[in-house]
Amino acid sequence: MSLATKLRRVRKPPPEGWDLIEPTLEQFEAKMREAETEPHEGKRKTEINWPIFRIHHQRSRYIYDMYYKKAEISRELYEFCLTAKFADAALIAKWKKQGYENLCCVKCVQTRDSNFGTACICRVPKSKLDAERVIECVHCGCHSCSG
Amino acid sequence: MSMSKSSYSQYNRKNWEDSDFPILCETCLGNNPYMRMMKDKHGRECKICERPFTTFRWQPGKGARYKNTELCQTCAKVKNVCQTCMFDLEYGLPVQVRDHELQIADNIPKQGANRDFFLQNVERTLGQGDGTQPIAQIANNMDQAAHDRLRRMARSQPYYKRNAPHICSFFVKGECKRGEECPYRHEKPTDPDDPLSRQNIRDRYYGSNDPVAEKILNRAAAAPTLSPPADTTITTLYIGNLGPSGAQQVTEKDLNDFFYQYGDIRCLRVLTEKGCAFIEFTTREAAERAAERSFNKTFIKGRRLTIRWGEPQAKRAADNSNYVTPVPSVPILPIPDGLAPSTSSQQRFTGSMPRPPAPPTFAAPTRLVVPNVRPVKAGEPSSSSSSIYYPSQDPTRLGAKGDVIE
Repeated sequence: MSLATKLRRVRKPPPEGWDLIEPTLEQFEAKMREAETEPHEGKRKTEINWPIFRIHHQRSRYIYDMYYKKAEISRELYEFCLTAKFADAALIAKWKKQGYENLCCVKCVQTRDSNFGTACICRVPKSKLDAERVIECVHCGCHSCSG
Repeated sequence: MSMSKSSYSQYNRKNWEDSDFPILCETCLGNNPYMRMMKDKHGRECKICERPFTTFRWQPGKGARYKNTELCQTCAKVKNVCQTCMFDLEYGLPVQVRDHELQIADNIPKQGANRDFFLQNVERTLGQGDGTQPIAQIANNMDQAAHDRLRRMARSQPYYKRNAPHICSFFVKGECKRGEECPYRHEKPTDPDDPLSRQNIRDRYYGSNDPVAEKILNRAAAAPTLSPPADTTITTLYIGNLGPSGAQQVTEKDLNDFFYQYGDIRCLRVLTEKGCAFIEFTTREAAERAAERSFNKTFIKGRRLTIRWGEPQAKRAADNSNYVTPVPSVPILPIPDGLAPSTSSQQRFTGSMPRPPAPPTFAAPTRLVVPNVRPVKAGEPSSSSSSIYYPSQDPTRLGAKGDVIE
């Protein structure tokens, strides 16, 4: 879905400062389009969605940084981005909590979906895992997003 | 008839199995004492009887692949095997090896109504007992020698290499893209012509055409054995590979500590510079027991000891005829039965036949089991008193039980 289509669905003109983030969001949109159309042959079932998750994370992180870290966009524009779903509100809500600053995706902290009621392997700090063991979580291909 | 649980069990005793804990061997459980298992009620069909059963899935230790149960518990109990690896629960050996050694000809029905009827009867039997007694033909086999043979073939430690991940099929084709992250083993595959690469569950379970069993049986047949010599007076064992003389050598105490478990030791001589020892037992049974139980599997100080039967002393005595010097001070007495000097031609008496008195000659006996004379010490006047000397009176003699009196 192009950026223009997404804007049309909100039915509101974008607030002040939209020009600042528009080119970057365009780039993210193009990257997402590329990831979506990529053929799945030769990939494992779990691997298919990993690039989508990665781009989604990067885009949310960009909006989050622009508002909370750099304070370059207004509150209105930030909320407009959330309602237009340029950024994932649920994911950003997690990032505000201690220990979840770099969370890869919301799926990885969903304990109800695991066999023993645990979070994903990528939530285990690197120091607690074997040094030589390389991990890629099945949900989003994250190597480690904690500690 | 539908295969739904309720209607099916009403008309037939063939029930869907539900269990709380799997029947597993030590190897399959792995080395981690803090293990988590996943239980899947009626999760899969049994690979043998094709009835749904409750499966379990777990990771047997670090770096191992996930394992799950393949057989239902009834099938496992019929053969007394692990639900996952189908090796015998007691010895960890394939069914074929166990049945071959214990002479079990277990022709249980393998398919169709016969099999279902058989399992139905088995379940009825199981229902009557408390679940701890063995069933089928294994229950009434009491051949101790066969069990000993099996114990020798079995591993003494769990074999965790069996839990290793499978070989990555993509790596074999040279196209594994996961690299370091790949949970499968990146190793050279086994030779497809090797019979060991053609194993299957049903053959393993029924104990027929099992390549693993064949390998184990061949190895057991080829293993060297130590047969006791025909001369029943020999009670001496040769023990070699004690190591070069020094601190690392196996000492007399080590040998005594190990071999006294098989019986009373009469004499233990260690030849330090040759790195070997001769150990003489008081009875033939003890010597045979020691030879059988220690041959090829005795490790002391990290060395595998060589065990052989001692040569007949008669041969050696013939080489040097002054091996035993006659002592003139000994009165001629009828020698006690157990201590009689015996030649290889003379057999030991078993009955209560009266023995002819020993000939009054001082010719060297060909073999002397126990010196029944007090060793003459220097400076001590040789007394010609006719008191009988019993070896057990000498406290300095090897193998004496009491304290050594200086």
